[in-house]
Amino acid sequence: MKDLLQPILNGILLGGLYAVIAIGLSTIMGIVKVMNFAHGDLMILSSYLSLVFVSWLGLSPFWSFFVIVPLAYFIGYFYQRRLINRVLGKEMDPPLIVAFGVGIILQNLLLLIFTPDARTLMTGLGLKTISLTSDLKIPVNYLLDFVIGLGVIFFLYIFFQRTYLGRAIRASSDDEIAARLMGVNTKTVYAHAMGISNMTAAVAGILVGMTFTFYPHTGSEYLFIAFGVAIIAGLGSMKGTFVAGIILAVAQLFGGHFLGPGYQMVSGHIILLIVLLVKPKGIFGTV
Amino acid sequence: MNKFIQRSKWPFLGFLVLVLATVPVWGSKYVVFFCLLFCVYLAMSEMWNLLTGFSGLFSLGQPAFIGLSGYTVAVATHHFGLSAWTSLFLAGLFSVLFALFMSLFIFRVRGIYYGIITLIFPESMLLLCSNWEYLRYAQGMFIKPQPPISVTAIYYVAFVIGVGAVVSVYLILRSNLGLGLMAMRDNEEVAKTMGVETFRFKVYCFLVSALVTGLAGAIYYIFVVFIQPGEAFSISWSVKFIFITIIGGIGTIEGPIVGALIYVFLSQYLAEYFSVSMIMLGAVAIAVILLTPKGIVGTFQEKIGFRILSPHRE
Repeated sequence: MKDLLQPILNGILLGGLYAVIAIGLSTIMGIVKVMNFAHGDLMILSSYLSLVFVSWLGLSPFWSFFVIVPLAYFIGYFYQRRLINRVLGKEMDPPLIVAFGVGIILQNLLLLIFTPDARTLMTGLGLKTISLTSDLKIPVNYLLDFVIGLGVIFFLYIFFQRTYLGRAIRASSDDEIAARLMGVNTKTVYAHAMGISNMTAAVAGILVGMTFTFYPHTGSEYLFIAFGVAIIAGLGSMKGTFVAGIILAVAQLFGGHFLGPGYQMVSGHIILLIVLLVKPKGIFGTV
Repeated sequence: MNKFIQRSKWPFLGFLVLVLATVPVWGSKYVVFFCLLFCVYLAMSEMWNLLTGFSGLFSLGQPAFIGLSGYTVAVATHHFGLSAWTSLFLAGLFSVLFALFMSLFIFRVRGIYYGIITLIFPESMLLLCSNWEYLRYAQGMFIKPQPPISVTAIYYVAFVIGVGAVVSVYLILRSNLGLGLMAMRDNEEVAKTMGVETFRFKVYCFLVSALVTGLAGAIYYIFVVFIQPGEAFSISWSVKFIFITIIGGIGTIEGPIVGALIYVFLSQYLAEYFSVSMIMLGAVAIAVILLTPKGIVGTFQEKIGFRILSPHRE
């Protein structure tokens, strides 16, 4: 039991990061009703942008939160406006195919530009830990992920509750036609929503870059994490997303602990399939 | 003019099949290779089209069947010393069984989730096969069936699978199953209300696509002799199917025929640059969706006003 405490603690802290990875995807799933297959790749794009920014100016990666995250808003906005919005309509497949295609293009562009080498954003926190007891340690960068993750979810919650745009986004997601009748331009709202979703993806991308190594093709791995969290949580619950992030992260770390690191991702997938089988609408889902 | 095309469509199609059937007789090694790949991609894309274009099930799970049957053949011939034909049969069988298993999960959720859930299966199998000693980890396995079979024999199997795929899609779509599938694609709720057993229809259609995709994957790997998990379960298969179907014309039976021909032509020039070819295939597919969503065949059919292989009964 004692040697399980560390994976549980790490899992809980990592859950905060997983929630940020997922929140953008689940927002778009709920609002635009499209599976954004490019979510993971857009996230890794931000990791690389931040890498370029940091190494050009020789700054600490923390500065990229102030530059790359706003930039990500515009990337998301134009991605939705120029590509996804144009194929939204009666048929279901075209937006999926476009999103999938954008993801593939991004992945391979990154591969061409940055080569398949492992990259990371150096913060100097990598090996620092806070000891709780003799064999229980809190990794500082995991703690940072957790705190920032909590902050992002909190901000997003306030944004959706208190601002006009947030309410317009929620209205369009609840009833698109009624929202349009009330004078909301739903397509513009979608573009803003994708911009915001991509901002959270950028935060996640920078955090992932500071915590782990990343490669051009790791985007799809994080797409699964995001989707897993979204499915376990169900749509429409921010607190649920946070809890689901923790569940998935703990499950993955347990899988890695018992079966070996090669099975870490697979155990996450298995948890996801079990949830699908037992509770297809998720644990906290309202819709 | 249209009457003339309409009347000559069966002789024309028969001529095409005849040309394809006699390739080993008149063609060089290179032409046989070309047509073999064409048949394999035709069969797989036709199945992807049946799922996505005709039934509204955007599937990214096809590589699961391709990799599974490739590895079935590899294990059956390498570890058990079975012949190529027995292992081909086993590959088809396992694909169908695995599709049944997948059906337990993938049809439980609404449409937009379907695609990504299907994607979980090839990705998990990729991870499992890369960590499995029996399958020689990620190093890959050689497929050397005893007794060895000639390229001509492989070609004819691929030919039967390719033509069989087109014929079976044609027959399925003109049956009640096809009618139900297309109704489901257009509006699932209404289809259900009108008495279409959507779940069962989805499973049937999924099983057929798994069988044909699995067989095509098995014959492909018997031909290329070497299988690796990173390539067998790769998402790039799905990119190819999307490209082939979209450029040819999604939701038309002839679309994948034209698309597969274009893809096999292109792939000779792109084979060396994996990333560039993926970028190009993705970009072309997106451009076609945005500009001419019906693809080559769909646009052409709109011009001449009738379909060569119509999914609708007259």
